[in-house]
Amino acid sequence: MIYNIYHKTVFHYQSMVTFSHNITRLKPKESLHQKLLDFSMEIEPNFYEEHEFVDMFGNTNKHLLIREAHQSLSVTGKSKVEIFPEIISENINAIKANSITYSEALQRLSKFQINDLAAKQFLFESELIPTNSEAIKLYALESFHKDRDLFEATNEFMGRIFHDFEFLSGFSDVTTPVEKIFKAKKGVCQDFAQFAISALRSIGLPAKYMSGYIETLPPEGQEKFFGADASHAWFAVYIPHAGWAEFDPTNNIIPSGQHILLGEGRDYADIAPLKGVVQSSGSSYLSVMVDVKREENNAILKMQKGQTQSQNQSQMQIQTQW
Amino acid sequence: MPIFDSYVLKSSCDEMFDREKKVKEPWSEILHKLKSAGFSTLEEKQAEIDWLLEDNGVTYNIYNSVEGSTNRSWSLDPIPFVISELEWSEIKKGLQQRAKLLNLILKDLYSEQKLIKENIIPAEVIFSHKGFSPEVYDFGLRDNFNLYFYATDLARGPDGKMWVINDRTQAPSGLGYAIENRLTMNVIAKELYPDIEIKKLFFFLEEFKNLFKKFKHDEDSVAALLTPGPYNETYFEHSYLSSFLNIELVQGEDLLTKNGSLWLKNLGGLKKVDTLIRRVDDRYCDPLELKSSSKLGVAGLVDVIRQNNLNMINPVGSAILENIGLNPFMEKVSQYFLNETLILPQIATWWCGQEKELEFVLENLDKLIIKKIDRTESVQVYFGKKMSDTERENLKNLLLQNPNQFVAQEEIDFSTVPYYANGTIEPRSATIRTFSLKSEDDYSVMNGGLVRVSSIKDALLVSSQKGGTSKDLWILGKEDLEMNFTNIFENSKYSDTFINNLSTLKAENLFWLGRYLSRLITTTRFVLHIVKKMSNFYRYEGITSKESQEILQKSLTHLTMTYPGFFNEENKKKLIRNPMIEIASVVKDASRQGSLSFTLSMLSSTNINLKDILAIESTKVYEKMKKEWAIFTKKTSYSNISMANDLEKMLVYMIAYKGLVKESIYKEQGLILYDIGYNIESALLLISKARSILCWHVEKSVEYDILEGLLNSQESFNAYRAKYKSSLLLENVIEFLIFNKQFPKSLAYRTNELLNELKLLPKSKDALTSYEKPIAHANELLKSLDIKNLIKMNDNELIYFEFDSVLSQLSQLYIECSNEFSKTYFSHYDE
Repeated sequence: MIYNIYHKTVFHYQSMVTFSHNITRLKPKESLHQKLLDFSMEIEPNFYEEHEFVDMFGNTNKHLLIREAHQSLSVTGKSKVEIFPEIISENINAIKANSITYSEALQRLSKFQINDLAAKQFLFESELIPTNSEAIKLYALESFHKDRDLFEATNEFMGRIFHDFEFLSGFSDVTTPVEKIFKAKKGVCQDFAQFAISALRSIGLPAKYMSGYIETLPPEGQEKFFGADASHAWFAVYIPHAGWAEFDPTNNIIPSGQHILLGEGRDYADIAPLKGVVQSSGSSYLSVMVDVKREENNAILKMQKGQTQSQNQSQMQIQTQW
Repeated sequence: MPIFDSYVLKSSCDEMFDREKKVKEPWSEILHKLKSAGFSTLEEKQAEIDWLLEDNGVTYNIYNSVEGSTNRSWSLDPIPFVISELEWSEIKKGLQQRAKLLNLILKDLYSEQKLIKENIIPAEVIFSHKGFSPEVYDFGLRDNFNLYFYATDLARGPDGKMWVINDRTQAPSGLGYAIENRLTMNVIAKELYPDIEIKKLFFFLEEFKNLFKKFKHDEDSVAALLTPGPYNETYFEHSYLSSFLNIELVQGEDLLTKNGSLWLKNLGGLKKVDTLIRRVDDRYCDPLELKSSSKLGVAGLVDVIRQNNLNMINPVGSAILENIGLNPFMEKVSQYFLNETLILPQIATWWCGQEKELEFVLENLDKLIIKKIDRTESVQVYFGKKMSDTERENLKNLLLQNPNQFVAQEEIDFSTVPYYANGTIEPRSATIRTFSLKSEDDYSVMNGGLVRVSSIKDALLVSSQKGGTSKDLWILGKEDLEMNFTNIFENSKYSDTFINNLSTLKAENLFWLGRYLSRLITTTRFVLHIVKKMSNFYRYEGITSKESQEILQKSLTHLTMTYPGFFNEENKKKLIRNPMIEIASVVKDASRQGSLSFTLSMLSSTNINLKDILAIESTKVYEKMKKEWAIFTKKTSYSNISMANDLEKMLVYMIAYKGLVKESIYKEQGLILYDIGYNIESALLLISKARSILCWHVEKSVEYDILEGLLNSQESFNAYRAKYKSSLLLENVIEFLIFNKQFPKSLAYRTNELLNELKLLPKSKDALTSYEKPIAHANELLKSLDIKNLIKMNDNELIYFEFDSVLSQLSQLYIECSNEFSKTYFSHYDE
C-alpha cells in the first residue's frame, strides 16, 4: 500500500520574528515493513541554514535557522510511504508466538540480557510521563496477571482504555498530565498513548511512544476534504523474547497497514514534529493541516473510522522589548 | 592560657590530634605557631580576614532575595586544613585515577556503551538517571568530549584514609573561593604562620589558562564563562574566575548560534566563541533541544557541539557522572578499563536496583542513609535512624516502587578539625573539595582546595547552602617548580570600556532605558498638565476650556496608545462627566499596555540588567521610586489635587534618576546608546503630541489653551517666552518646538544631535548606514519646509493637512531608524 502524506504546520506570531531556531521531525522513519519512497520539505520563509541529523531514537531531525523577518513560519512535509501489510502480519504472528507471561517478562528484565538492553531506555519516567500514582498501576494490573500472556494482556488493556476513556478533543493539550487524563477518563490519541505508556512502565514494562498518521475515511456518501486528517499517536510495548508490539488504544486496533510511522521516542517531547525558540513579543498560535491519501485505485477496504487529533504543539518564546 | 586546653575530641578521628591528644606530625608546626600566637592574635587575624574578604566583595548568595539586599558574606577560618606532602601524593594518585575512570565512563556511555553491553554497569543505573542526555548519545569518541574539569569532595573516614564523598562533573563550583581563600591566607600567614612552606596554586591555574590557549581556534575567537546571571548564589565566583582566567563572562542572552558556531554578541559585532566553560547545568544549556523552558542557555548550542565547533568544559551530558548509583560498580569499572584497584575508598553504597542489595537495605534501614542516585531535580537525603515508623514505611514503599532510583550508604563518622569560633577552638567536621583538570593524557590536581566546615558543632552535613564557613587547604612542602612571578595572581583583564566590546545585552538595555525613561517622563508631565488644568476647569465655566480639555485628553490617548481611551464612543458621556477614571487607569493600571505603571515595569527590567554598570545611587533612587509608586497606585481616590501632588513627587524621582544615570557612565561606556534611545523616543512623542494638538484648526481661545498645554507639558513655556515675547501664536510654537535649531527640546535639534550620536557607533562608515539614512532624510526635510505653507488652509477645513502629513512622514522616519538600528546592533542582522 502506498500513501501520500501532506503535513503542514504553521506558527503565526503577533509581531515580527527575525531570528528563530527550529527543529522539525517530518521525515517518516523506515522499518522492515515501511519504506520511504519520496520525501520533500517546504519552508516559508526561506531558512538561513539547515542541519540534518539522526537522533538516538533513529528519527531524522532537521535544525532550521530562520533569519528573514516573518510573522508566520510554515513547514510542510510531503512524503510517499509504502507499507507492507504482509510483513506486519508475519511480524505480529511471530510476536504472538514468542510472547511470554508477565511474570516471566519481569523475571527476565530484572537480569542482564543483552537483547533487552536497548529497550530499557523506555522503562523509566520521561519529561512528559513522570512516575505515576498507585491508582494507575492498579488499573494496569487488572489486565496483567502474573501468568497471563503479555501480548494478550496488552491487547485487553488497550481495549479497556478504548472503552473506559472518552475521545474528546479540546479537553487536553501536550502538557496535560497523565494523572488528569486518568481521573477524567477523557482525551485524544496522544493522551491515550501516553497514559498507556505511563501505566506499562509503572508495572515494569518498557513502552514507547509512536507518532505518525492513520488513514481516515469520510462518512459514507461524502467526499473527503483535503487536509481533514490529523497526526496520530499510539504505543508499543516491549515483550522480552518477542520484540516490540504496537497497539492503538484510540481505535482499539493492532496497527496492521493503515498506520504510517513518523517517529518514535520516550514520549511526545522526543518526536514533536515542529518545535522552536523565537525571540518575539506578543503571543503566537499554531495551525496544523494533515492529509493522508492512499494511492491505489482499488476498492477502499472497509475499515473502522480512525480517530485522530491534531496534536497540540507549543513553541518556546523569549519575550523581547517592544 | 594554652589555647587547646578546652579542645575535646568529638569524633573517633581528629585531624590534629591522635586519641592520646598528641599532635599529629604535619600539624606540629601549626600547633606551635597557634600556641605562641594565642587567642588575642587569632582574633585579630580573624578580623583582618573578615575585612579583606568584605573589601574584595566576596559573597555567597549575592542578590538572593527580591530586595537584593541579603548578600551573605563569605567566611574563612584562620586555621588551615593541613595535609602532609606524602599523604597528598597518594590522594593525588587516587584523584587522577578516579578522574580518568569517570572520563572513560563518560566517553563510553555516549558512544559504544560497552560498560552496559558487557554488564559492568547495569543499564538501569544509567537510563533511570536524568543526567543521561540522549541528545549527545554519539559524541563520546570525539577528541574534545572529555571530563575536563572535575571536583571531588573528600573526607577522612574512621580508618584514617581520605574517602570520596561526592563527584562534581557538570559545572563544579568552588575554585574561585579556593583561590580567594588562599590570597587572603597569604596576607595573614606572614605573621601567624611564619616559615611554614606550602604548595602553590599557581601552576594549576596556569594550566587552566593554557587549556584555553590550546583550544583557541583563531586570532579573533574567544573563550567564555557561561553564568546563569547575577541572581545565582555563586555569581561572585563566576565573575571572579572569568577575570582571573582572562575570559569573557557571559549569560545566555549574550550569545547566539548560527553557521554551526557559537557567537558572542558585542556592539562591534559577533565574535566566535570556541571554548565555553559553563556554570549552567546540562539540561538548561539549550532551550531548543534540552529543557525548553530554560532561559539560561542558548538555542542551538547542542547542534553547535554536534557540528564539532565548540569545546565545552564540561560537555553537555556530564551530569550522568553525578550518579551515586555508579559507586558500587566503580571497582569493576576500574578493573575493566585500567586493570587497577580503586585507590581512594568510597562510602559503602548499595544500589537498590538489585534484588539482594534491596533486601539488605530494607532490613537495615535504620542504620543507613538513603539517597536518590540523581541530583538533577532535588536532593533529598533520608537518615534511617532519625525516622519515625511511618516515615520508614513510606520510604520502604518508595524503594519498592522505584528501586532503580535509590542507593543506600553507610553512615560514617568523619574526622574533625580545629575551628576557631567565638573566642575558642573546637572540633568540627569538614569536607575537602579538590579540583582536577585534564591535561593531555593525564589529570593535574590542584595542590590545595576548598575546605567546608559544618556550621554547627555536631552537624553531619557540610554544605555552603546551609551556611557554614570555609578553610584553606594547605599541602605542606617546598614547591619544586620555578614560578613565573611576572603575572602571578594579577587580574590581567582590565575592564573593557570601549564601545565595540560593550555586550549587546547591555547595549540593548541601555537603549531601552533611554526610551522608557523618556516615555515615562514625557507622559507623566503631560498627565500632570491635564490634571492641573482640570482643577481650573470650573473656574471659568467657559466652553472653550472644555473643548481644549477634550483635545488634550484625546492627545493623551494617542500619546500612550491606550486606545480606545478617550475615543471610546460608547462611553462618551461618562468620559466627559468624569475623565479622571480614564486618566487614573492610564496612570495606574499596570496590565494596560502604555500606562505609566506598565512603562515603569518595563523600565524596571532594563534597570535590573544594568545594575552592575549604573551607579549604586541610581539603583537606590530607583528602588525608592518603585516603592513610592506602589503606594501611589494603591490609592483609590480620584481627586485631581492628590493625583497632581503625587505625580509631581514621582516626577522629581524620575528626574533625579535620569540625572544619576547620565552621571554614572560615560559615552564610550554605553551612555551613547541611552542617549540615542532617549532622543528617538522624545522625538516620536513630540511628533505624536504635535499631530494631535497643533494640527487642529480651532478658535483662537481654544488654540491659546492647547498651545499653552503643549508648551507646559514639554517644560518649554519659559523658554518660549524668552524667545517670543509676544503671546502664543501657532506659527511661533511650531517654529519653536519643531524647527528651532537652538532649543534642545525641538525636533530639529534632536534630529541633528541624533545624527551626530549615530556617527560615534562602531558600524558607522563614511556612507550613511541603513539607520542613519532616515534621520538624514528627516534632517533635510526639516530644513526644506516653510511654516507658512504648512499651515495655509481653506476656511472650511478643520485640519492642517499639509502639516499633519509632514509630521506623519517624520514619525515614520524615526520609527524606521529605530527598527534599522535594532536590527543592526541588537539582532546582528547583517552578520
